[in-house]
Amino acid sequence: MTTSPLDGAATTRSGRTTGGRACGCPEFRMSRRRLLGTAMATGGALAGAQMFGDAFRQVAYGGEPGGNVVVVLSLRGGSDGLSLVVPRNVDSARDHDHLTGYRSTIVVPQGALLDLGAERRFGLHPALDPLLPMWQAGSFGAVHAVGLPAPNRSHFDAMEEVEDADPGSRLRVGWINRVIGFDGANAPEEAVALGTSLLPTSMVGPSSALGVNQVGDLQIAGVGTSGEARRQSLSQMWRASGTPLARGVKVAVDSTTKLARLAENVDDDVHGDLYPDGPLRGALANTAALIREDVGTKMIAIDYGDWDMHEGLGSVDGGWMTDHLGHFAASLKVFFDDLGSHAGRVTVVTISEFGRRVEENGSGGVDHGYGNAMLLLGAGVAGGAVRGDWPGLAPGDLVDGDLAMRQDFRDVLWEVLDSRLPGVQRDAIFPGFRPTALGTMRA
Amino acid sequence: MTSDRPRRPAAAPEATDDRRRRPGRASRTYAAVRADTVRALPPADRHLVRRFSWGLTPALAEEVRRAGGGRAWFERQLRPADLPDPAGADIDGWYPSTLRSPRAIWDRHHSEQEYIWDVVADLSRRTVARRIHGRRQVHELMVDFWSNLLHVTLGHEEAQFWRMDYDRVIRANALGSFETLLQRTITHPAMGLYLDNAFSSKWAPNENLGRELLELHTVGVDAGYTEDDVKASARMLTGYRVDLWDDFAHAYEPEWHDTDPVKVMSFKHRNDRADGRAATLAYLSYLAHHPATARRLAHRLCVRFVSDTPSASIVNAVAKAYSTGRTAIVPTLRALVSHPDFDAAPMSKVRMPTEDYVATVRALGIRLQRPGRDDAFANAMYWQYSQAGQPPYEWPAPNGYPEVGAAWSSAGRVLTSVYVHRDLAARWWPTERATFPTERSMLPPMPATLLQVIDQLGLRLLGERPRQGIAEGVATVVGLPLSRRLTADEVVDSWTFTRIVASLLDSPLHLHR
Repeated sequence: MTTSPLDGAATTRSGRTTGGRACGCPEFRMSRRRLLGTAMATGGALAGAQMFGDAFRQVAYGGEPGGNVVVVLSLRGGSDGLSLVVPRNVDSARDHDHLTGYRSTIVVPQGALLDLGAERRFGLHPALDPLLPMWQAGSFGAVHAVGLPAPNRSHFDAMEEVEDADPGSRLRVGWINRVIGFDGANAPEEAVALGTSLLPTSMVGPSSALGVNQVGDLQIAGVGTSGEARRQSLSQMWRASGTPLARGVKVAVDSTTKLARLAENVDDDVHGDLYPDGPLRGALANTAALIREDVGTKMIAIDYGDWDMHEGLGSVDGGWMTDHLGHFAASLKVFFDDLGSHAGRVTVVTISEFGRRVEENGSGGVDHGYGNAMLLLGAGVAGGAVRGDWPGLAPGDLVDGDLAMRQDFRDVLWEVLDSRLPGVQRDAIFPGFRPTALGTMRA
Repeated sequence: MTSDRPRRPAAAPEATDDRRRRPGRASRTYAAVRADTVRALPPADRHLVRRFSWGLTPALAEEVRRAGGGRAWFERQLRPADLPDPAGADIDGWYPSTLRSPRAIWDRHHSEQEYIWDVVADLSRRTVARRIHGRRQVHELMVDFWSNLLHVTLGHEEAQFWRMDYDRVIRANALGSFETLLQRTITHPAMGLYLDNAFSSKWAPNENLGRELLELHTVGVDAGYTEDDVKASARMLTGYRVDLWDDFAHAYEPEWHDTDPVKVMSFKHRNDRADGRAATLAYLSYLAHHPATARRLAHRLCVRFVSDTPSASIVNAVAKAYSTGRTAIVPTLRALVSHPDFDAAPMSKVRMPTEDYVATVRALGIRLQRPGRDDAFANAMYWQYSQAGQPPYEWPAPNGYPEVGAAWSSAGRVLTSVYVHRDLAARWWPTERATFPTERSMLPPMPATLLQVIDQLGLRLLGERPRQGIAEGVATVVGLPLSRRLTADEVVDSWTFTRIVASLLDSPLHLHR
């Protein structure tokens, strides 16, 4: 045992040259994560670009009051699907034995997996325990071996591909933007989005998008005049401008008009105290308030980052993955409770740019891989099962050392959109794409 | 230890009723230059200076005129060592910890004399303060440009002890050659720690830096390299270790270096020596000179300084100058400003949030002083400019902040910018250890019409008289017709002055460059 240089916590020194493999890093990542949590909570040096810590939130309007809402939770950085939804040894299939062979120090032991009842082939990471009742109730399910049509292990390229969802196109219009722009409710002031001052690729495009820290910021700073005078003034000054920012000004004016009531009642309407401390607290508490306000919110995208676990992924007893998943699960449980009667119209789906390599690297982490798992929770989900074809983990089943891809991520998104937002046109969202039925959503 | 992390100061603005009623009063003021000396630059010079400075001011316009025009001023800016910059040197002294060695920063953190997060926040402040007051404006822009391309996130846990030294490397090479800049940054411990190369060995290569070097720092993802190229790139870079456990010392470790032959695209090297540094530098030199790197850097420079959608013509011209000049940065920039496309679309680039912040402080004539306390402007500003989402070097991923207008055009960004403009125009926060020009000294000879007041403040703050639509929008907030004659008292003893100034900062004339 020695003292970690950064936080004074006692940690195991993994050694500079253990067994000829050189790395002194896993504990650093653990302490880095703790530091990040604190930094986010106190607005420290890292918090500036990260609106809710690691979580960004975007919201699209355009739906009718009382309509369905789809929340896309982006696990940015490349989540390790084989730590989330873990194959068991079942009958003659020895996938858990294979997995243990590839990643002996970080594998979730079969005995620690959450039991999924009728779904005998898989178990969930124990940190997802707060969501197990939803699985048992049939409103939480998963799809495995999901990916892009062809492997792409670059974060930025893969995320852009996922968010464009239009392979080969150079239009750079994100699929969420296409959802709000192509269903008939596309007058700019009706197809508004809200969330972060920096738009992710999925939101970029001709349909307007709005991003702010929190719903309380949805007003124009006063100079001793009415909000109406400020809004009129901005419209006059920007009327002749044609840059992208001119559109942002117009949306700001329109949406602050529409959301004036909520912005004035933030203290009562945003229930941050209910949520566990961490990067999802602000994002989910504000999102729940916005959904309850029922101003026509249709799609929400939340970024929950820090999944790029090249080093020190940890074990089920503690570490980066266990802590990160634990925050995810506890926060989502509170989110569905906080929605109250509105939970019946809200569906959450997770997405990530790629999976991780099956074999752990020399640093107790996993490098960029291919096939991954997606989780679906909430209204309309045909849960209690892991959907899709499963390729297996025997050495001959892998593709270049990665879990093979058997389901296109657009299959999953399309089923969710088709089930919950039936007005959207598939060809407009995923041009030229012919989906395969997976049965993730109830008919 | 982490519980001691500093919190945002209580001086952050809370919208109290009192504040809503009237603007604040700065404790220390100075008289601005007289109205009759504030003159607009010719349009071409104005455009060049707006693109290659952190904000046009009456003083900068005067400096451009004295230099003999925009291009002559630009040429001087390309030789920063010859430009006396006492203000910039003074600012370095405000943040002494940022000048310390990695070892000293490490020791002070470990002995709890000064925590690392305070040091990196000071580097952020020093960077912004130099942009506000430094004379070497083009140099500061290029430091930002290269820092964003060769991005090392400011608060990265392991890299941060080396981040101040990394900044020195970029500053020293920002107007030199990209070849040298690439060699010094990719092999720097900050980059090695940030993208895991410091942990990569022949036994357990880590591909992170090897891949990003190709994808982000040089040839780009479309250059046609393969997964085998990425693996070879990672093996080439093995050996640059950092001692995490003792003192963060940087050392090349031949035992860690992979000595198999290397082939990356058309780069081939026997790489058979235990010390792979010469081979690594040859590899980086190859990448710096690669035509795909030339095109990619040219495109990126054009996006930053010319247009979000630059023409093939200007990108090719800039790439050619880069290659002809053996990766030298100065002739590359000359080719950029000399191309006809450079002059084609003034005021078409959206100001990114921190560009907006720096230009706002410059426009308002706020003079920062040595901080010395938490609520001093030069310290508290960190919390203010971070609100808008683009504090220097804090993008959380290795690809750096986006530099196109669409990425910074959400309505949320608009609302945040408007808040910051209001807080500064009203002189609410921050105000300590800074001097502001008296409102009266910024006005035209009074009494004057509202339009004349708007024209003079537009010329003084933004470099030109606002067009009619902007003036009408300002009048809407003031609540008076443009023809109304006003006395100086009527303007400064009410919200009128703040309303005019804040609105001008919210206008397209300020939020573009």
